[in-house]
Amino acid sequence: MNKRVLGVIDATTYHEGLKELMIHRSLAAIPFAGRYRLIDFVLSNMVNANIESVAIFPKFQYRSLMDHLGSGKDWDLNRKRDGLFFFPSSIIEGIRRGIGSFSHFAANMDYFQRSKQEYALITNCFTVSNMDFKPVLDKHIQTGCDITEIYHLGKSMQMYLVKTAFLIDLIQTREKTGYTCMSDVVTDIYHTYRICRYDYHGYAAMIDSIESYFAASMELLTPEVWNKLFQKDHPIFTKVKDEPPTRYLRGASVHHSIIANGCQIEGVVENSIISRAVKIGRGAVVKNSIIMQKSQIGDHCVLDSVIIDKDVRIETGTVMTGSRTSPYVIRKGTGQGALMNI
Amino acid sequence: MLLAGGKGSRLHSLTKNLAKPAVPFGGKYRIIDFTLSNCTNSGIDTVGVLTQYQPLVLNSYIGIGSAWDLDRRNGGVTVLPPYSESSEVKWYNGTASAIYQNLNFIMQYDPEYVLVLSGDHIYKMDYERMLEYHFKKQADVSISVIEVPWEEANRFGIMNTDAEMRITDFVEKPEAPKNNLASMGIYIFNWPVLKEYLEKDNGDSTSSHDFGKDVIPMLLKENRKLVAYPFKGYWKDVGTVQSLWEANMDLLDEKCELNLFDYDWRIYSVNPNHPPQYISPIAKVEESLINEGCIIEGDIERSVLFQGVTVGKGSIIRETVVMPNAQIGQNVFIENAIIPTNMVVPDGTVVRKSDEIILLTDEMLEEIMQIKRIV
Repeated sequence: MNKRVLGVIDATTYHEGLKELMIHRSLAAIPFAGRYRLIDFVLSNMVNANIESVAIFPKFQYRSLMDHLGSGKDWDLNRKRDGLFFFPSSIIEGIRRGIGSFSHFAANMDYFQRSKQEYALITNCFTVSNMDFKPVLDKHIQTGCDITEIYHLGKSMQMYLVKTAFLIDLIQTREKTGYTCMSDVVTDIYHTYRICRYDYHGYAAMIDSIESYFAASMELLTPEVWNKLFQKDHPIFTKVKDEPPTRYLRGASVHHSIIANGCQIEGVVENSIISRAVKIGRGAVVKNSIIMQKSQIGDHCVLDSVIIDKDVRIETGTVMTGSRTSPYVIRKGTGQGALMNI
Repeated sequence: MLLAGGKGSRLHSLTKNLAKPAVPFGGKYRIIDFTLSNCTNSGIDTVGVLTQYQPLVLNSYIGIGSAWDLDRRNGGVTVLPPYSESSEVKWYNGTASAIYQNLNFIMQYDPEYVLVLSGDHIYKMDYERMLEYHFKKQADVSISVIEVPWEEANRFGIMNTDAEMRITDFVEKPEAPKNNLASMGIYIFNWPVLKEYLEKDNGDSTSSHDFGKDVIPMLLKENRKLVAYPFKGYWKDVGTVQSLWEANMDLLDEKCELNLFDYDWRIYSVNPNHPPQYISPIAKVEESLINEGCIIEGDIERSVLFQGVTVGKGSIIRETVVMPNAQIGQNVFIENAIIPTNMVVPDGTVVRKSDEIILLTDEMLEEIMQIKRIV
């Protein structure tokens, strides 16, 4: 697959159901699995398939996404030739239906025209999986289809493999054809293209609501899912941080949990995902919860089925309970005190 | 100028294939990370690292220095191995000869001061403060010293000072110490003084070309101004299996002065890419330091686990340092030990506490397995 495929990641998607986690960040930058962001999965999959040129098309709130990706160094994409490209939307667009906005691509036509890669892989930014794209290309070449759409469990994954020249043609003729994005093309019953389907049988979770986010997070605690996502020879890359190892202090009791680096734990943690540099105070109990980076849980707090966003401070003795189907979400950077108990 | 050629022979098999500064420490780091991080945190952006013994791991670890933000357009980190001249290869025969052979490197930068460091120690120190002290004292050389317990003073190089902290005398491992200020092997030299005395020392065929044994006594004899810079805080020479284990255990002490969680003085290291650690439903973890990529299914008590370590069901790891990627099987019991990098510990292995800290080796495991077979 070497040098033959362009990676195109559409990072413009807005899911209303995830709005509480999207106030300060784009969907692509939502933290996941303790130390990753959603985009890390598809981006790492591309890098692992030897894709050396990746273009990211973000829209609003892309500060945290840019901060996360930087020069692309952590994905080995800080290259002299090719590498990581960032194309924020330069025009205010209306609401779109699908992945791969042709007008957004058209505004950055030079990228497609200058690239020498024969194929382009257009993907969404919110799929958690460790997918090998090489067989997708093999099948695409073998069948000679115009578009290969990737499916998982009978549903479109909103990932499309095309020839770059074909994509350029779709972009340039978009006013005549009326197609605004890739899904317009594949769902049009009158189109004249050969469209093929590639069925992906591995693990995948598409994150489009708090419920699916919470469910996918909790699934990580099953070793089968964990082992499918995190494979030594097929790593998921992310921005590295210089956090020390996690410290378990006296009184810590941790079971069935995923803990990132830099945490200091003095309380009880069960069935939870704890991100980097989280502090859990003495006598605190955290169950079935997701705690994001640098949040501090005070002494003797009791949290069950909650999602705590980054930089949140939960005061001593706070009790908060959500449910598995409707976890309680605390927004980034806020404080929660005992008086705000629910 | 960071001296990183140390063989660390008292660390036995741990330094068979790597130099002492590259020995893993603290669940994530290598010993040299502390000195390199001190440099970058002190605003030093030009560092020469002198390597000699088993440099492969160290060289590839340091790379171009990006982990410590030392990949700079001007200066940055330069690894300085011994090199050959037209007639012969000149190995570094002592700490002073190592710097002497790289005078050209220093001359390129024409500095005012040169800081000479050792890559063997665990400590956090702001060298900028020491430089201010050096400047204020109008010294030719400043040597950082730390108070050691009187009963241990005979193990160190001891500085005798006057009331103004001017060094009057330097005694290596004195039988009857008159002072308890030990040299930490950290020197700030006025560059012209360093150059002059290294050249003199090189011309002396009786010299062993060592800073402590030769250069410092010569400076004292010629009445140059040497002052002691008193350092307070955590400092440890992890020269033996016992002291390496102790230093790791120190990190578990809640009152330990070496705080790895101080974001104003981060210890940087090359970050391997591992997923977060997984603690299984039946695992138990108490008072420990655990790094990314670990999969824990057993009981961990007062231990330090590096990245990528797995511990199987029913195993108990107590007061032990487990180095990167070691795989510990099921129903293993290990107490007061160091398990080296990549070691595979078979199911049912038992290593009980003895008088000294055990550094596990393949031969030892083989022996244990044989005994088990006979039984």
